[in-house]
Amino acid sequence: MSALVQFRDLNVSYGALKALTGVSGEVLPGATGLLGPNGAGKTTLLKTLLGFLVPDSGQMRAFDLDPGTAPLDVRRRIGYMPENDCHVAGMTAAAFVAYAGELSGLPRDEAVSRAHEVLYYVGLGESRYRPVDTYSTGMKQRAKLAQALVHDPDLLLLDEPTNGLDPQGREEMLELIRDVAQKRGISLVLCSHLLRDVERVCERVIVFDRGRVAAAGTIAELTGPRRAVFEVRVKGDLAAFTAALAAEGGECSAADDGLRVLLPEGAGAERILRAARAAAVQVRRLKAAGETLEDVFLRALGAGA
Amino acid sequence: MPIYDQRYRRYEARNPLRELRFWPITREALKLVVARRAFLLLLVAAWIQFVARTIQVYVVTRFPDAGRVLPVDGRLFGEFLSGQLGFALLVSVFGGAGLIANDLRTGAILVYLSRPLTRVDYILGKLAALMSLNLFVTLAPALMLWIVAVSLAPEQFASLKLMWLPLAIVLHSLVISLAMGLMALAVSSLSKSARVAGLAFAGLFIGLEIARGVLRGMFRTPETGLISLQGNLHALGNALFGIQHRFFNQPWPLAALALVVMAALCLWVLRARVRAVEVVQ
Repeated sequence: MSALVQFRDLNVSYGALKALTGVSGEVLPGATGLLGPNGAGKTTLLKTLLGFLVPDSGQMRAFDLDPGTAPLDVRRRIGYMPENDCHVAGMTAAAFVAYAGELSGLPRDEAVSRAHEVLYYVGLGESRYRPVDTYSTGMKQRAKLAQALVHDPDLLLLDEPTNGLDPQGREEMLELIRDVAQKRGISLVLCSHLLRDVERVCERVIVFDRGRVAAAGTIAELTGPRRAVFEVRVKGDLAAFTAALAAEGGECSAADDGLRVLLPEGAGAERILRAARAAAVQVRRLKAAGETLEDVFLRALGAGA
Repeated sequence: MPIYDQRYRRYEARNPLRELRFWPITREALKLVVARRAFLLLLVAAWIQFVARTIQVYVVTRFPDAGRVLPVDGRLFGEFLSGQLGFALLVSVFGGAGLIANDLRTGAILVYLSRPLTRVDYILGKLAALMSLNLFVTLAPALMLWIVAVSLAPEQFASLKLMWLPLAIVLHSLVISLAMGLMALAVSSLSKSARVAGLAFAGLFIGLEIARGVLRGMFRTPETGLISLQGNLHALGNALFGIQHRFFNQPWPLAALALVVMAALCLWVLRARVRAVEVVQ
């Protein structure tokens, strides 16, 4: 599978502030998540890809083109949904999306026809003749997605697409994005600080932390059986149990129903039982579990600290 | 039906990018501006002077003695365009102030710059829209007036002696439209509010003219007029149409140079402000 985007030893800065420091990675066809806390460098990577920022050093290629020297050829194959509001004041959604299509190089007739189709697709068909200024936050997010999709890009860049949405709106947006990636065959990069969003949509993830790539790979690889994870509920002195577990090389964190215990690779449940005996607590529940993306995320951030 | 079950059609055709990439920007900007009824009224009102001057030309051709009070010659067009400068200001304030400011406010700037467009395409698109509006209140009525004058008094206006008139009209109208357009866009790019940008542009235009008056009173030299956009446009028009003016009498090469410097300054501001990324140092 050839990469759509590749970046090697990329350094990007805003004046004196270094935003990306020697990052390397690639975006393969399918859905890729860029994960990291605010200010980690996710949006900077997208802006470099769009040719808005020129790297201080390193190399970036998109569709075998250099965004720095051929930004127009790269941008015509990309659909970008920015994090913040974006619409043209006074325009209806239908006019706005058609306009966006035309700006991407579609002929006028085709842009108008596709604008209507895409607006129906994102669920704004009935309100497409309303000015975007009057839309709710959720509707504006959908209009933003529509303008990014109208020219049928090869790669969709979604920057925090669920920002400001209520739980139902968030579910619908994620469902829509998943549909774009899985059924419509459009590759996408989902940039988010929300693990759940990335887990729901993406097959691969690149974790950013303070301008560096902290971890990268498929979600299955990253959350695979690298460390043994158990869900445990105990009765007794929790602090003593935690200390005993730490002596066994384990870490634990609070979970919905008890504790989530992570043991070193290859370790088994006997360490938990040993720790329970040492702390004189009663084990009420012990269940093997998998490492979640959150564990990977926290581990990656912890390693970089 | 769930939204994700609805049809999405892939679009295989990839046409080469159009030559005039700025054209959709110009067209849509014009559509949005002209959609306002008040602005349409302003455009109509800008033709009142044309009607008045047409009557003047008609009266003088019918009653030649009236020409002593209301002379009809090449200077008529220079004075006409000078009179239209006020409308060009209003058109630039109400039509141009929001062109970039609104895009900065609504984030639309990213919609443009994430497309296969350069910053030059974007600025050119907006400038072409504003220049078209300005030309509608300067070039169009002035040329119409010349056509009317040629039809009513061909022996006077169609003579070889006045054949330079259409060229002077086109040149002066273009200079007015370009200068006003660039300055309005530069001011528009400095604010996220169309209202603030409009007030700032009007304030700058009028303020520079007041400063010119004050400096002239202090130093009593015509070169003080070089700081005023209006003064320089008048001076250039006076030179083109052979008008001797008491106030706007700075040397025209200097006025032209001052306009070039103002245009360069506006382009510098636009280059700094129209960008997809705000650089925080």
